[in-house]
Amino acid sequence: MSGERTQSALLGALGVALMLGAWEVIGQNRLVGMTWPPFSSVMAFLFDPSRQALFSRALTATLGSAGLGYLIGGLAGLAFAMLGQILPVLRPGTDRATAVIHAIPSIALAPIFIVLLSREAAPTALAALNAFFVFYVAGASGFASSSQTQRDLMAALGASGTKRFFHVDLPAAFPGIVSGMKLAVPAALIGAIIGEWFGAPRGLGILIVNAMQNFQIPLLWSVVVLAATTSLVLFSAMTLLERIVHERYR
Amino acid sequence: MTDRTAAPAIDFRGVTKSFRLPDGKTLTALTDTSLSVGKGEFVALLGPSGCGKSTLLRLVAGLEAPSSGAVAVEGRAPEELVKAHRLGIAFQEHALLPWLTVRQNIELPFRIAGRPVMRERVQGLINLVGLAGFEAARPKQLSGGMRQRVAIARSLVLEPEILLLDEPFGALDAVTRRQMNVELQRIWSESRISTLLVTHAVEEALFLADRVIVLSGRPGKVVRTLEVPFARPRHPDVMRTAQFHQLVDELTETLHPTDGAGH
Amino acid sequence: MSQSATANGPARPSLVGRIGRTLLNFWGIALILVLWEALVVLNDFNVIVMPRPWAVFADIWANPGLYLQNFMQTAWVAMGGLVLGMIAGTTIAVLAWSSRILNGLLTPIGLIFSSIPVVAMIPVLARMLGYGTETVLAIVAILSFFPFFVFTGSGLKLLPAGSADLFSVFGAKKHQRLFHLALPSALPNWTVALRLASANAILGAMVAEFLMGTSGLGQMLHAASQAFNTERALGASVCATIGSVTLFVLVVSLEARVRERWT
Repeated sequence: MSGERTQSALLGALGVALMLGAWEVIGQNRLVGMTWPPFSSVMAFLFDPSRQALFSRALTATLGSAGLGYLIGGLAGLAFAMLGQILPVLRPGTDRATAVIHAIPSIALAPIFIVLLSREAAPTALAALNAFFVFYVAGASGFASSSQTQRDLMAALGASGTKRFFHVDLPAAFPGIVSGMKLAVPAALIGAIIGEWFGAPRGLGILIVNAMQNFQIPLLWSVVVLAATTSLVLFSAMTLLERIVHERYR
Repeated sequence: MTDRTAAPAIDFRGVTKSFRLPDGKTLTALTDTSLSVGKGEFVALLGPSGCGKSTLLRLVAGLEAPSSGAVAVEGRAPEELVKAHRLGIAFQEHALLPWLTVRQNIELPFRIAGRPVMRERVQGLINLVGLAGFEAARPKQLSGGMRQRVAIARSLVLEPEILLLDEPFGALDAVTRRQMNVELQRIWSESRISTLLVTHAVEEALFLADRVIVLSGRPGKVVRTLEVPFARPRHPDVMRTAQFHQLVDELTETLHPTDGAGH
Repeated sequence: MSQSATANGPARPSLVGRIGRTLLNFWGIALILVLWEALVVLNDFNVIVMPRPWAVFADIWANPGLYLQNFMQTAWVAMGGLVLGMIAGTTIAVLAWSSRILNGLLTPIGLIFSSIPVVAMIPVLARMLGYGTETVLAIVAILSFFPFFVFTGSGLKLLPAGSADLFSVFGAKKHQRLFHLALPSALPNWTVALRLASANAILGAMVAEFLMGTSGLGQMLHAASQAFNTERALGASVCATIGSVTLFVLVVSLEARVRERWT
């Protein structure tokens, strides 16, 4: 069995290596044209010491807005889900409102947030909105997953709705919320990056859009790779956390 | 009728089965086990949980291969019987496909075997297991006992030469379980297929089988064989006789010796 | 209010009861509109900064042809991309299912792409494929591909308990396992993929159209905001939101129906 696990890890590594290899070959031979640079030149561009300051400034800005938005949106999403759980009459309304909020195009909201808040705050607001949705869905389905027996027990003990929530629903929702914490990472990053497209002073998003408009192909790819890697690293860390929590709570 | 002079339906010769665990250790489920099931015989394998009795059944079904020794079904390798679609099986998890109706679930073996569906045979089995009127129901609309009836009908639909039953009523409550035992006895009497039943319920084994084989705890090996003295067809009243109770006590003692060695 | 309505008789709820229920279902959405209105009034925004909700709806009402044309453009491209991504994602998941090596090679790539902000890659694709409707189609297809690949892939392994063994004992061939067992088992998960992908299809198409300024609602939004026509920009967004929500509601009801029948 352990041999099987090693084998699938090796196959997985081989798969990723093949993907990067294909990227390199296509780039080297210009199979898709000038807009597909080889992997090696993107890496060289990304790790060029002269650009470290540019990249780290942009990454810090994006992580800052995404992180703050993640926190705000996460807390708001959970609070909204809690509202529907403690007062079940409100639940259909919270469900529908969240679905509609999620369906409003970010690109329409970005200019509004710039007017209402500021250029710097728009990425945070969009990141918060995206995280809000993920946390709401994770929280609402998680809170509802406490077993009927547990709820009946709390009712028999004469517990109030709030008491039941904190003793039964919240712990039952924990594994679901941790999965939401993981899925909200790329969602918050997307929000921050789109928010930055609309003229944030710094960040990965504004670099991406400028590079696209000015045909700076290696820069464009480098920044996208940077954004993807950042998301992947955070997502993997959350996956580890998720595994630990799921083992304890199930 | 039972005929143990001809080639046995199932034959185990010195079978050992061990598994590699994920942590690298080896678990031996069965050691040097020899036993056989005659043609038309109903044998119950009785043993505590984790004694390798399900492993034994999986070896007959070709789901596992023995580490050493030989398993023969109808004198050949289990895989050959599987390829010929001549094996019927029912598990504790009823393994019904939730998206199919009762009738479609019972017809499934025909479709897998690539044979035309014999509608009368299917309907006959539905009637036999007492599910007439529920042909179009889906598994989730049925009770646990009814689901097992479907699973048993499905195991019989291709008129198999060997029937394997792996704790088929293990998930049912005591009352339903006894009822299902009575039903199975009746159903089996109509076909008299060579049958191997795995169970940990002593009364179930005694009521259903011609012969009870008791396996010891891990690693499993045969510790006792008992010829069941009750004539067929068996009326449920058999279970109330003093002889039945005495045999139950004897087998229970073999399974869980009161000197505390088991626990 | 709704309680008194149900007490009067569930068959025909009173008008008050119906209004009450509508309020309960849509209080959140009503609140959003009220907040929007209040925001404009309290801050005394002019129409360029932010119009009131009714002004946006009035613009849609006054120009139905313009909105409909752009909406249909975006909706068609989104649907086309969704279907392409669905076909590709499902097919590759089935291929990965059929070969252990392919599965090992592809699974981590699927996981990587579902954990990164793919929307941020739209500019790369736009530059690579050129500005045009085909690029929008390709972008939506790529956005949709990963949910279908990942969720179908895991769904193909979510078999009913015991059914894999059952199919082995039936002697089922690989294609029978796929069509009779794995694909039906994957359907509930597949509808989850459909829900995730359809939620993003119209929005993804709109982002792509906006960035490239090609066609549809995205281009409409782009052009309107360049011309400081905020009513129209928001009108385009309202159309996208309505389209997205409608699609989402349809898919959710499909998903509920599949769950009802399938589990």
